[in-house]
Amino acid sequence: MQESLWMQLVNYFSDHGRAFFALGREHIQVSLLALLCSAWIGITLGYLTITYKRSEKWIVSLIQILRIVPSLAVLLLLIPLMGTGTKPALIALILLGVPPILMNTITGLNHIPLSVLESAQGAGMSDRQMMWKIKFPLAAPLILTGIKTAAIEIIASATLAAKIGAGGFGEIIFTGLGLNRMDLLLIGGGAVAILAIFIGVLLDISERILFRYQFLQR
Amino acid sequence: MKIKKKTIYIITSLIIVLSLVLSACSQQKNQASKNKETSIRIGTKDFTENLIVGELYALALEDAGYQVERVPNITGSVIHSSIVNQDIDMYPEYTGTGLLAILKLDLLTDPDEVYATVKEEYKKKFNLTWLEYSKANDGAGLVIRAEASEKLGIKTITDLQKHATELRFASQGEVDQRADGIPALEKVYGKLNWKSSKVYDNSLKYEVLKNNEADVAPAYTTEGQLVNKDQYILLEDDKQVWPPYNLAPVIRDEVLSAHPDIAEVINKISSALDTDTITALNAKVDVEQEEYEDVAKAFYESIQ
Repeated sequence: MQESLWMQLVNYFSDHGRAFFALGREHIQVSLLALLCSAWIGITLGYLTITYKRSEKWIVSLIQILRIVPSLAVLLLLIPLMGTGTKPALIALILLGVPPILMNTITGLNHIPLSVLESAQGAGMSDRQMMWKIKFPLAAPLILTGIKTAAIEIIASATLAAKIGAGGFGEIIFTGLGLNRMDLLLIGGGAVAILAIFIGVLLDISERILFRYQFLQR
Repeated sequence: MKIKKKTIYIITSLIIVLSLVLSACSQQKNQASKNKETSIRIGTKDFTENLIVGELYALALEDAGYQVERVPNITGSVIHSSIVNQDIDMYPEYTGTGLLAILKLDLLTDPDEVYATVKEEYKKKFNLTWLEYSKANDGAGLVIRAEASEKLGIKTITDLQKHATELRFASQGEVDQRADGIPALEKVYGKLNWKSSKVYDNSLKYEVLKNNEADVAPAYTTEGQLVNKDQYILLEDDKQVWPPYNLAPVIRDEVLSAHPDIAEVINKISSALDTDTITALNAKVDVEQEEYEDVAKAFYESIQ
């Protein structure tokens, strides 16, 4: 059994190797685009909620509610509006990616020690300068953690995009489910897992390079 | 201490009430099994077409003076074991399913041959009888957007193969891999080199075709949406690759020999069904959102 499964895997790659990499490219494209958009939206919204304190409550609760709706439901709900394909998949994934980034941005910006802000103000910085020179750089590690969470969630959920013709490794997984084929499930699921881990490690490394001071020996 | 006593009291009384209710239920069940001898239990699979046809059998038997117990929505993969285990007495089955999924025999394409084979094997192996099969065939097929069909002059799968490079295929994943799916077609018709091929959820295919996001999709030959012939055209399998899936009632031998007149009553229903009729009935439920019982009733009255 073990051996035949192994053979099935080998056969799959020799027969469908090109298709596999095409699907991988689609999966990565959709995920990265969604991640970029949600990072942009999440950080901007985070900035706005900090600048306009009154909006914090409703922005945060709205985003938290959106987070509850399952991605598959979002995908299917979007079809009458946007048709099928990559666009609705992107929207669903962005909705999934924004909350962790937004929440971490808000926490990061809110938890800067008052003494730091005080000395910055003492040095004569304007609000704007404080935002860009003090608050954002200090909040950045936490924001990056948010992006990491979002990246992994987005890559895993991009599997669902195959339900609406946006391609990706999901195609292999759903085919495997329909045919009850272990090899396809392993290949599809494994590919998604490896991709998610890879992106996670990549972001970890960039964190070490960008915020080297965090890793200083105290 | 006082509170504790109270809780114990409440719990005990709850248990007593519950056990009373449960025993009442099981009594009812016993009653039902007593009635078993006189009523015919008709099972159906869990999709529209099977539900409608099962209901037609039920109506016909009721008209003939039988008591009928309906057992709807049995999952396709267990319905065979439930008739073998005598949990139901009859159900509508497809000749191709019997041949390939239940008996696991080799693919045959002639409807009569398939029917004869399953009839003989079922009798030998399971003591089940296939009554006469109807012309309604719920098999695999390919559906094409009417516009594309007109533009390129595609009516059959042979035509399709010639024009495949100009067409976008909306797959649902499985058909590309299944031995009796696209690979079976390609063996006979030649390679299908689609312009593009994307996977969609099966429930979306008509939406995708309607929105002009794909040209061809796999389909079952009696799907309700196919009544829209100016939008969707079912391609003819001109070299007969796909096995026939004719609708036919499967009934337990015991029941049939006790009530031999059932055969005649049900065969009358089967003879009234063909692919177009059943497609129209499916459309009433799946497209126009009517209840399947009402659709079956109206059709039954129309063939009286």
